[in-house]
Amino acid sequence: MQSNKLGWILLAPTLVILFFFGVLPFLYVVFVSFHQWNPFAASPEMIFNGAENFRRIVFDSAFLNSLGVTVAFVIFAVLSELVIGYLLAQAFMREFPGKSIFRTIHTLPLIMAPIIVGSVWKLMTTPSIGIIPHYLDEWFGITMNIGTSAPAAFLTIVIMDIWHWTPLVTLTLIAALVSLPRDPFEQAQIDGANKAQTFWHITLPMITPALVATVFIRLMDALRTVDEVWMLTGGGPGSSTRFLGVHIFKEVFPKTNYGYGSTISVIVLYLTIVVCWLLYVSMLAPRKNRKG
Amino acid sequence: MNFALKVGVSAIAMAVASSTAYADDAFWKEAAAPYQDVTLHGVTESTPPSNYIREVLAPQFEELTGIRVDIETTSWDQMYDKAIKDMEAGTGIYDMVFIEQDIVYSYLARDFLTDTTKLLADNPSLKAPTYSENNFTTFADYFRGENGHLYGVPMEAFIKIYLYRTDLFNDPEIKEAFKAETRHELKPATTHEEYGEIARFFTKWGEDHDLDLWGTTAQAHTGHPASWYEFFETIAPTYGVYNWGIDAKNNYAASVANGGSMNSPEAKEAMKWWLSMRDIAPPESNASTWTEVGTTFGAGRVAQGLVYGENAGWIAADESKSLVVGKVGVALPPMEDGILEEVEGGKGYIGYYDGGAFGIPATSKNQKAAMLFLQYIGQDEVQPDWAVAAPRVTNKSTYDDPKVQAMNKELGGYYDLLRDKGYLFAGAPAYPFHAQVREATAPILYQILTGDLGPDEGLDQMAAKAEAELTDLGYRK
Repeated sequence: MQSNKLGWILLAPTLVILFFFGVLPFLYVVFVSFHQWNPFAASPEMIFNGAENFRRIVFDSAFLNSLGVTVAFVIFAVLSELVIGYLLAQAFMREFPGKSIFRTIHTLPLIMAPIIVGSVWKLMTTPSIGIIPHYLDEWFGITMNIGTSAPAAFLTIVIMDIWHWTPLVTLTLIAALVSLPRDPFEQAQIDGANKAQTFWHITLPMITPALVATVFIRLMDALRTVDEVWMLTGGGPGSSTRFLGVHIFKEVFPKTNYGYGSTISVIVLYLTIVVCWLLYVSMLAPRKNRKG
Repeated sequence: MNFALKVGVSAIAMAVASSTAYADDAFWKEAAAPYQDVTLHGVTESTPPSNYIREVLAPQFEELTGIRVDIETTSWDQMYDKAIKDMEAGTGIYDMVFIEQDIVYSYLARDFLTDTTKLLADNPSLKAPTYSENNFTTFADYFRGENGHLYGVPMEAFIKIYLYRTDLFNDPEIKEAFKAETRHELKPATTHEEYGEIARFFTKWGEDHDLDLWGTTAQAHTGHPASWYEFFETIAPTYGVYNWGIDAKNNYAASVANGGSMNSPEAKEAMKWWLSMRDIAPPESNASTWTEVGTTFGAGRVAQGLVYGENAGWIAADESKSLVVGKVGVALPPMEDGILEEVEGGKGYIGYYDGGAFGIPATSKNQKAAMLFLQYIGQDEVQPDWAVAAPRVTNKSTYDDPKVQAMNKELGGYYDLLRDKGYLFAGAPAYPFHAQVREATAPILYQILTGDLGPDEGLDQMAAKAEAELTDLGYRK
């Protein structure tokens, strides 16, 4: 009883802060999402319009397009980061010359703010001036113009995200791999399991909790990517990289369409929760059932 | 005049000057006395003129009056985000906000701003002897309400100009080659046809001589509103399409069918010409905003272009940033036949007169102290150094200052053009829905730029979208 009370006292400041800066704003966004509200409309007042914004969103081609490119981005970027991150983590589990230097360099992108990453990649990919299009043209005769080519812009953003966030995946998986007990691997070796079997039946199940946590973090981050894309393409060419985060930003800030923008935010949050829940169920629930 | 007389006149002049200065100082100290515990908070875009306020004018004012001034310079988006939320919620965090010319009508429609004319009239003791609304150029008129009162003190003003490379235009070999090819003399263009001819010539010249040189700039970003502005505020007016093709007096019609001109034959011709220029501009043009256009010109990659005046200063004079220092001339943008006469006759404009002012939110808790600061930055006396540090002119007397005159020479006569031809340019139309219509129609423009939509079809869609947005916003009935 005593420790329970102390626990609540210690938690109280965090809960109060969370309530005022997390829960209240969220409830306000939900409230606004049921209203038509643009302070620069002829009638700038907030007008309750029921579920009209939610109905509208289903038929909003701009939103659906944003949803589509975001899903594609999340699949390509997060999957690539997981695969590359795992391979790098395995590489860092071994000793090789210059390992510590390489590991430090490999981690550097993580400490860069997304807006800086976007700026740096913009400099590197600016048509005809940036180092990437320059050498692609000089070495391979490939013309790269992210201002006109939608696939080039999309691919560049995926690569930029992989470059920026793979180190996070590597670090979490290194932590997971380091903590694994040796016994199961030695037994598997004695039993004659090959590398693929060892990975599939021992390594993967044992690192699954860390893997799921990493996927959740990256998934949520990728779904609300704004800064890098804003700097690099501004959502273009056309709407080819207008991810949900950028779409919400443009709807809420320049257009000051607070009501509809809030609706999109709520829907995106809902989709994120659903996707994470599905992942959780598909990856962790079977494991729990096996244990049970 | 003998020596004694000269000394006598000088002494009187010095005495008058020093007593005036003393009187001015005394005014600021006396007027500021009730506000010694006040800290003014301002938010503005991080631009050279704003940085000058933060780094030079605010400390000067603090020293003179004892009123602390905290100027926050941030990105364009952040600045609007912070200012609008503060004024909308009525929190009163900011005592001064940057008002870009194109947002002022939105702010006035929402009664966000304090009437500075009235504030001074109601509080005569606040009125600085060195401040007068009459000192401002006509640009200040963009910040007046329907009652003719001023709602913001202008702090930057510039026009978007036609910039060309004098070294290339005066090169004998190039001139000869141009004449041989076109049978015309090479001189700054006055029409779109001439501009296009020069652009094509220089792009080809660059190709033939293996130079990184193209014939024109193009602010044609495929995902940034900069391209939208280039078309509607720079290109379309020179074809006679004004106010974005929206007729506010005709139920905010945008389409030709309803009486607007966003998809008029002139607008479509303008779009096709602009696209043809974009196609022979440097490859980075599809990813260029106003900033990159300046950078492209400063890097010596183009022979001519349409460039914002705020960039003209460093392009023409800053050797640490520009490779074309001393090689730049300025002129009016090219236009269709008859447009200049039309504009001089009082209809329309030939380009964009941009800039901004500092205003006091109606929600500010320190309006009187803020008014003192705004008067301080609006005085003639502080303008010349400010104009030299960051090319912008808001007061009439600034043009005649020797420092500004010297700068004018370096800028190829830019200040002369601003003074003498500024009346041909105009700011954004007086719409309270500026960003809303822009953001609604910009995605379609981006599709035109990427080639996913043809210019005719695209402009038809843009006009329809603009009308739909205006209907949603409640302006179009």
